[in-house]
Amino acid sequence: MAHETHAKTLPAELSAPSFVDGWKLRALVVGVIFSLIAAVLAFLDGSIEHVLRAWVLGLMMAFGFAVGGLAMLMVQYCTGGKWGLLIRRPLEAMSRTLPLVFVYWLVVAFEMKRLFLWAQVNDVAAALKSGLINEVQAHAIAFKRPMLNPATFVWVSLLCFAIWALYTWRLNVLGLKRDSDSPANTPRWIKKLENISGPGIVVYTLTMTAAVIYWVMSMDPTWYSSVYGLLFLVGQGYMVLAFAILVSLSLSKAEPFKTILRQTEQHDLGKFMFAFVMLNIYLGFAQFLIIWSGNLPEEIPWYLDRIRGHWGIIITLDFIFHWLIPFALLLSRDIKRNKKRLVRVCQWMIFAKAFDLFWLIEPNFKDAARNLHFSWGILEYVAVPVAMVSFWVAYFCMQLKTRPVVQTNDPHVAEILEPEHAHA
Amino acid sequence: MPAREGTYGLLAEFDTPGDLVRAARKARQDGWRRLDCYTPYPVEEAAEAIGFHRNRVPLLTLIGGLMGCAAMFSMETWISVLAYPLNIAGRPTYSWPAFIVPAYEWTILFAGLSAAFGMLALNGLPSLYHPLFNAPNFRDGATTDKFFLCLEALDPKFDLRETKAYLESFQPVSVVEVEY
Repeated sequence: MAHETHAKTLPAELSAPSFVDGWKLRALVVGVIFSLIAAVLAFLDGSIEHVLRAWVLGLMMAFGFAVGGLAMLMVQYCTGGKWGLLIRRPLEAMSRTLPLVFVYWLVVAFEMKRLFLWAQVNDVAAALKSGLINEVQAHAIAFKRPMLNPATFVWVSLLCFAIWALYTWRLNVLGLKRDSDSPANTPRWIKKLENISGPGIVVYTLTMTAAVIYWVMSMDPTWYSSVYGLLFLVGQGYMVLAFAILVSLSLSKAEPFKTILRQTEQHDLGKFMFAFVMLNIYLGFAQFLIIWSGNLPEEIPWYLDRIRGHWGIIITLDFIFHWLIPFALLLSRDIKRNKKRLVRVCQWMIFAKAFDLFWLIEPNFKDAARNLHFSWGILEYVAVPVAMVSFWVAYFCMQLKTRPVVQTNDPHVAEILEPEHAHA
Repeated sequence: MPAREGTYGLLAEFDTPGDLVRAARKARQDGWRRLDCYTPYPVEEAAEAIGFHRNRVPLLTLIGGLMGCAAMFSMETWISVLAYPLNIAGRPTYSWPAFIVPAYEWTILFAGLSAAFGMLALNGLPSLYHPLFNAPNFRDGATTDKFFLCLEALDPKFDLRETKAYLESFQPVSVVEVEY
């Protein structure tokens, strides 16, 4: 019996389907509505303190998607695999949103004094005397002054942004150039992108560790954790995969993703995301277990701030939301292979990441530490990040439309067009 | 079970997995239920073609994992709270964060063991005798490069002559009768 070929052909039109414009419009509308809500809440609260705190949450979400997307892009260039082809162009579009993240960051840089105790305190002795800071904070701020000061904050952040911009620009330019080259050169392209991405991942790990230490961890100048950068790195893998899978599954309602998205790769991506769900809780719990065992006065208050005074409810919910629920759902093979359900899991995981950041950020502030209480301001944690992420999504949709959503000059294209199991 | 005698089934040999899957799919469509595919490596379509059904290994794994977790966590609680309550750096005797790691390890261990032994219990391995090994081409080819479809004599549709003709319509390399 002769072998039949069942391979599908790639559609001629490879640009993003027109409904991406619809997403953009919807995101903009949501963004405007939630901006208005945020403004009303700030008015009710009578201060913009919480707007700024929630702004950091929104910044970390947009930063996670954009720069985490760049990191995932580099990872898939290094590992290869058909799953990478599916999310490559969405990841590129995510990485190209870096300018918006920079704009978001500018607000944090300008309003540094309201967010960071170490920026607010110039004269440690005077601040100690006036009761603004306690002795532990005074010691930490004085000791960490060479690192935690406004100039270093700005310069380190700018350097990080410059490095990320360089990688974003390089990978995006080469990604497009590769498509216009002849297939004979493909092996060279694969090697070239691998050689850029490999060191890029290392550089990224260092720069993003610096960034999250400055932007989030230093809100509490007394505390430190050596796993902090890695926690955010894994958290970015968690949310980037959730978003990228969400995008490719939503794109698969129309060509060209309808043709190239196979259940096999969808399942692979689901498994990959499951690994990040595990790694995320592993690192989060490891940090807790070590600090809990040590029970040192330098470290344990950070957790007490986030457990006592009803924060225990939030951390319990956080554990359920961002580990237990995705873990239990992604255990199932059927859910990973079902588009509709996997989309729901991805949406949930993005929400859960934001919830986790709320738990990380809000207790850094004196009024909220060990004291979870309602104020109009705390609702900003919903309004501001939703608005910021919506604007980010609109920008992402714009970027997604600028180039074909499938890379053609890749040997995986032929494989991905074959029937699910190549044997039959 | 008393030793069976007579024909176990008819065994068709194919050169490619594609041919096997097409034949198996057709046989299943035509109402065959006592049939099986044998391939040198896993061919998922073959399993689907003959009506792959879910088994209970995932359930056993889940139950095993949960039992391992519960067993270890309760054991640690019993040891630390009731049997040997020790004051370790002033911590409460019920210090659950410290119990998580061993409980987690036992979850993995018991889930893994349940999966392995559950699989063996449900699929009937290890089996000391299988009639198909009476066919020389099966002995030589089933683990290297041949793909087999066996229609078993237990199927009510089975008839030695008609079934042989039916299998030959798939143009296999050979069709042989296998004795118990």
